[in-house]
Amino acid sequence: MKQLVSLVSALALVVALGSTASAHHSAVQYDFGKSATITGVVLKFQAINPHMRLTLRVTDDKGTREVELEGHSTNNMYRAGYRDGMIKYGDKITAIVAPLRDGREGGYMVAATLPDGRRFGVQSAAERAREREKAEGKP
Amino acid sequence: MLALAASVSLAGGLVFIPISLAGQSAKPDFTGLWTTYTDPAAGPRAGGPGRGGGPPLPMTPEAQKKVADYRALIGTSGDTPGGFCLGTGMPGSMLGSGGYPMEIVQRPEQINITYEAHNEVRRVYLGDRIVPAADRVPGRNGNSSAHWEGDTLVVETTHLIEQVDQRYAHSNEAKIVERYSLSTDSRGTKVLTAEMTLTDPAFYTKPVTDTKKWAYVPNGHLLPYECAEEGWNIHLEELAKKAAQGAKK
Repeated sequence: MKQLVSLVSALALVVALGSTASAHHSAVQYDFGKSATITGVVLKFQAINPHMRLTLRVTDDKGTREVELEGHSTNNMYRAGYRDGMIKYGDKITAIVAPLRDGREGGYMVAATLPDGRRFGVQSAAERAREREKAEGKP
Repeated sequence: MLALAASVSLAGGLVFIPISLAGQSAKPDFTGLWTTYTDPAAGPRAGGPGRGGGPPLPMTPEAQKKVADYRALIGTSGDTPGGFCLGTGMPGSMLGSGGYPMEIVQRPEQINITYEAHNEVRRVYLGDRIVPAADRVPGRNGNSSAHWEGDTLVVETTHLIEQVDQRYAHSNEAKIVERYSLSTDSRGTKVLTAEMTLTDPAFYTKPVTDTKKWAYVPNGHLLPYECAEEGWNIHLEELAKKAAQGAKK
């Protein structure tokens, strides 16, 4: 059976290896100390390196608009549970992201929850913080 | 060690016996998939030379200026070679390649090391396979030759190009020696230790050292790492837009 490599230093690595609609990538504009969720319908998805790309059509009380996201490399997402075909156009998914530092809508996807409840990705900043608090005995 | 599996019929069944090739002394076999090792007894990784919290690197004034100029150029953009689908180069590749795993395929005369990130490949030659110095092609990972000292593989890398875009900036005069050895930790994990010494009088006033440890991943697989596809797709989209504009005229 194929054994997967553990996702050691995944966050540091992706940031180091490095976004916009051009073909170069930098993760410096994202705040990895924070986390947020963005739910929308998949309009575009690219399982590529160094960063995945995802465009969601988001509809809420602010209206309907397209939100562009990037995320961890396909390789790291694969080791964190992503498999080919998991994200389909038209699916409504929730992306867990490190938000943009400048407050614009968008972010860096660290994980995603699919329509059937499955999830892939690494821990978000909020999840890491909760785990730390639990380890320290905080309620 | 390169070994043959000889099949022997024994009591009606087949038994496979490893046999060393004639003339080849037994050497450790590094073949397999390796990922960054985490020492169970160690705390958070301390900052080494060149990392945050570590002592400053013993750089020459000229090298310091080159690195400072590069950092000023990059500014706060966060741009990296990897962000442009360019591999790290030595010694960044052998010191972790951004945290991705590496695969080693070992033969007596050649050892291939593939770092998953950006599919960086190093071909390490031994014995008669070693490339004459005059025929070596400079590059970000240079040219590597190796020999065994007991159970330690000693790899020497030269013909590097000047690089200021990684942790250990260096000139094209740099020489990097890596010493690879196997051990087993308290959990029974097979560990490959790589001790690196970078010598570069043009950039450093004394040799610089670092150590990287890798953990063996049984039956692990390296993943493909295509990275430049997005740039190509963007180019095709631009061509399609131009074609559409031309058709309207």
